[in-house]
Amino acid sequence: MSEAAADEELADGVMAALRRVIDPELGYNIVDLGLVYRVEIDKGTVHVVMTTTTRGCPATDYLRDGATDAVDSALGVESVTVELTYDPPWTPEMMSQKAKEHLGIGDGGW
Amino acid sequence: MTGVTLSRWTMSYFALAVLCLLGAQALMALGFGYPAADVAAPETLLLVHLVAVGWLSLLMCGALFQFVPVLVARPIHSNGLALPTLACLVAGLALLLFGFLQLAGGAGPAWSLLPWGGGLLALGFALALWNLGCTLWAARPLALPSRFVTAGLASLAATALLGFTFTLVFGGVSSAQPLVALTAQGVPLHIVAGFGGWLTFTAMGVSYRLLAMFMLAPELDGASTRWAFRLGVAALAVAIIGGTLIVWLGARPGWMLLAAGLLGLAALGLYGRDIVQLYKRRKRRVIELNSRMASVALVNLAAAALLGIVLVGTGTLGDHSGALLFLVAFGWLSGLGLAKLYKIVAFLTWLECYGPVLGKVDAPRVQDLVVEPRAVRFFIFYYAAMWVGTLALLAGAPLLFRAGAVGMLLATGAIAAELVRTRRLADVRGAVRLPEGARQPRLLVSMVRQG
Repeated sequence: MSEAAADEELADGVMAALRRVIDPELGYNIVDLGLVYRVEIDKGTVHVVMTTTTRGCPATDYLRDGATDAVDSALGVESVTVELTYDPPWTPEMMSQKAKEHLGIGDGGW
Repeated sequence: MTGVTLSRWTMSYFALAVLCLLGAQALMALGFGYPAADVAAPETLLLVHLVAVGWLSLLMCGALFQFVPVLVARPIHSNGLALPTLACLVAGLALLLFGFLQLAGGAGPAWSLLPWGGGLLALGFALALWNLGCTLWAARPLALPSRFVTAGLASLAATALLGFTFTLVFGGVSSAQPLVALTAQGVPLHIVAGFGGWLTFTAMGVSYRLLAMFMLAPELDGASTRWAFRLGVAALAVAIIGGTLIVWLGARPGWMLLAAGLLGLAALGLYGRDIVQLYKRRKRRVIELNSRMASVALVNLAAAALLGIVLVGTGTLGDHSGALLFLVAFGWLSGLGLAKLYKIVAFLTWLECYGPVLGKVDAPRVQDLVVEPRAVRFFIFYYAAMWVGTLALLAGAPLLFRAGAVGMLLATGAIAAELVRTRRLADVRGAVRLPEGARQPRLLVSMVRQG
């Protein structure tokens, strides 16, 4: 298997692992909520850039550690680092269509 | 640790607060204090302080120790101060309540307990103010919700100082003229600083952030919010600082309070407009029980403002001040408090129990810890009973008021039972209830993960 194909396979495994981590408040996985901004893979080394729905959220450390543990458990991962960023800040528009439908996200109104 | 940690003692604050609310409602149901006694009778003062300090202030302090760090995205200044603060507040409240019983002719030592109670309460609030103040100070420049909370905390300082002054004079410790004058004329200032500044203004600031968070609505920081803050601060300054100076000049603070009331109404009008915007612009179409029940509390705040206007306009505020205060305390502040408590207890319990195993095992959602269709009936019953009580006070029907108090007591008891079920994870079904590595939370103390 080529190196690129191996990285692609690993990326699929990493994203599947991150989907096991839910945001407690919204009750949906952090990938489809748009909280995972970037996943960089270099052979077995994974770097995840993610955010939380609100800066200062008490769940922040749990979400970061949960993402770390989940990725670490993916097949082929040798090391993982998770970086938190609030640039840009998260907005509900970043959710996948699936997540928006699940949570009944709309454009507001009564 | 980069995030905000759980506050170990917040659940203890909440539990004691709910017990005080239940106690106060039981006393009202038994006919203790107003309207059976005079609005200024020691029995009524006991009841008012059981609600204002025991229920609302303990609830607010416990919530702020957890949520000021969220507001400013920084850790609390000192986790260690929360317990001594709680001890001072509870001991101070107990002595204050016994002091009021002494005034009512009850048994007790020959010396008054009031100054001791007032002193311990002032110390407890000073510790809370130091802890929260240092947290806010380190986070400057502050966003608008945090500024509301800061103004609320300044009002708490004024409330506690005025209250301590009253206990010194009533307890016979001081007969200094400025303190005696304040005690004679300053009770309205104490009420405005406490219910208007500390409790309402702080709740307004917290609600701007929490409602936006829970409903996925855009956070507001426009001209309307800025003017709501400025006018509210002006109202509090006119009432508390202006009122105190007027009293010391030998006059009654009535006109000063009327001016403050007009400023406060303008601030409330803008706040109401903002809140309507938050609900209208929310991204979550289906909102949770806490946001729905908070909206009823906000309607009660508007109703209280309208009632205040009518009573002042008809010159009957003196006759019905008890009804107005009841609506503010139980319709607005307690309604909002119970609604947010229902959410916060579930959220903090989830973090404590399932946060450490997140990503390792399947975990329930926060919503899975509660059963909203069951709890909604208790909230509706609470609000209905509260309105029966308010209307009974306005109509001068004490028996009907006691019936309303019984209804509120039953509803609050049922909501408290829901909170206990949430802490016990009683409504979480299946294997996700306590997965490997998760620990059953304790009822009154949070197990805090240390970084």
